[in-house]
Amino acid sequence: MTQSLSKKSKSTKPVLELKNIVKTYTSGNTTFNALDGVSVCINQGEFVSITGPSGSGTSTLMHIVGLLDNPTSGQVLLEGQDISHFNEEELAKTRNITLGFVFQQFNLLAKTSATENVSLPLLYSNVPKSERLPKSIEMLKKVGLGDKLKNTPAQLSGGQQQRVAIARALINDPKIIMADEPTGNLDSKSGKEIMNIFHQLHRENRTIILVTHDMELAKQAQRIIIIKDGKITSNPC
Amino acid sequence: MLKPSLEDLIRSSFRSVLKNKSRTILTSLGVIIGVTSVILLTSIGNGLKTYVNQQFEALGSNTIFVSPGRIFNEQGGFDRSGAGGYISTSFTQKNINDLKRQLKTNLVIPMTTVSSEVKSISNKKNVSIVGTTYLYGPNNNAEPSAGNGRWFTKEEEDKNSKVAVLGYDIANELFPNGNALGKKIIVKSKNLKVIGVNDKKGSSFGGPSVDEFIYLPIGIAFDIIGNENIQEIIIKAPDKSQIDNFKERTTDVLLKRFDKDSFSVFDSAQLLNSINAIIGTLTIALTGIAAISLVVGGIGIMNIMLVTVSERTREIGLRKAIGAYPRAILLQFLFEAVILSGVGGFIGILLGALGTIAINNFFPAKITLGSITLAFGVSFLVGIIFGVAPARKASKLSPIEALRYE
Repeated sequence: MTQSLSKKSKSTKPVLELKNIVKTYTSGNTTFNALDGVSVCINQGEFVSITGPSGSGTSTLMHIVGLLDNPTSGQVLLEGQDISHFNEEELAKTRNITLGFVFQQFNLLAKTSATENVSLPLLYSNVPKSERLPKSIEMLKKVGLGDKLKNTPAQLSGGQQQRVAIARALINDPKIIMADEPTGNLDSKSGKEIMNIFHQLHRENRTIILVTHDMELAKQAQRIIIIKDGKITSNPC
Repeated sequence: MLKPSLEDLIRSSFRSVLKNKSRTILTSLGVIIGVTSVILLTSIGNGLKTYVNQQFEALGSNTIFVSPGRIFNEQGGFDRSGAGGYISTSFTQKNINDLKRQLKTNLVIPMTTVSSEVKSISNKKNVSIVGTTYLYGPNNNAEPSAGNGRWFTKEEEDKNSKVAVLGYDIANELFPNGNALGKKIIVKSKNLKVIGVNDKKGSSFGGPSVDEFIYLPIGIAFDIIGNENIQEIIIKAPDKSQIDNFKERTTDVLLKRFDKDSFSVFDSAQLLNSINAIIGTLTIALTGIAAISLVVGGIGIMNIMLVTVSERTREIGLRKAIGAYPRAILLQFLFEAVILSGVGGFIGILLGALGTIAINNFFPAKITLGSITLAFGVSFLVGIIFGVAPARKASKLSPIEALRYE
């Protein structure tokens, strides 16, 4: 079944395409290629995991895929559009509308209610103020936190905090959801719940990119992209 | 185009500032102290000015003074060699008569002053004795009010009657048991009868208080001093519009006897302007010193904002990751700094206003809209100036670095 889904999505247009990406870090006289000619494509509606030993370039790849960092050379095509020379403002706008981030550390604002945390991306988009609260409540209900609207992060368990973070990632209805070790700080039960949410989102035809060092977790995706020493070793497209 | 809207940004900044209330207050303390002292000092300056103006109004705005020496310089300030300096000129009765004739007025009032010991039965004290005429009291608000006796008459002056009018304070000091009227005082072995006690006038800044003066008919004063030198002449013009004309004619008369640097003819407005100029300069200087604490307060805000930016590196990274562009971050942190200084300015104005009300009980002080606006404006400016550097630092953080920050 996984195979057939994978085949089916291959026929659709890639939502994200990386072409020959090189990322070089320089420290003093030595240069180091964190990514060394990486080409990857990810299709609309696909659930992909990116994995590899630590230090192999997974984080760097995620930053470039997440438009948080610019490649030294190569092209990043998002919905067919080359974003390699976007300026900071255009990148910020794209991150806001097209991407949703879920981090290992949750990264919620402290002393701030769940609804306010969830509505934070709306602050930077065109959504009128009156629609923000209803939208945040809707998202929190979707992740099963309809009864914790006013709670601050300190009043929520780790799993609940991560669900708030997922609601925040979903609020602008992004094309792609990027999750960086989303269960890394959670116990196995909460981790399972979070993964279930990702599967649910996948069933709703969202594109999900899961970055993890945990092979068991990576296997839950349709396709596993493995990166080693800055090069892709399996399933680039 | 601006996203988030200004309103959203300001609300967001307010929330961040309110999350840490004690820090907000402590950070604003520098600005609070600065603004409070600026408000207090300008209030005192303004109060002084108003007070001086009222005093001069009471004195009568149609009064012309003739003094020995050069008192004013060309710029309208006090001349260095004049007031308080060595004065050799003195006027005579002949000058008075000349002036009366030329100006066609009787209100040319000579004054002579000497410091001397005065004794009553129970006490003695060194005071200023002023010799003048029967016209001085009625024309200078210096008459005792009903029940406290009277000013001396023309007859008493002509006959060199041994009478005296006491200032309010000196009367109380010489006669602590009250009612000085009709009692005797001794000045240089002359027995004088107290015929009046003036009302309390209050101090006139640093100078000798008129409440400490003793007024005598000028002839008696001449006897006590041992010469007939007149040290000051007061001339009353019929109304304000005649002042310039009277001053010119007075100067013309005196120039026949004295050279131009050895006497000064001036009116109360001129004197008032000079005093106001001095108070103004003093107020600006003191306010300037107080403003230094505003700068110190601004540095405190900058310091805390830099700490805040470091502390909230992760938050900044997150905001950038979810779509905040650099300018949104810059404005948010800039507004936070401005809120800190604005809150400080607001509290400072409140404290300054309360302090002004308190001070006003024993010293003239008056708060003005101008000083409030200035203090508020300056505190906002301080927030902007000292908030820009930390805010720029925040806006330039790379989102990855910021998210990685532990």
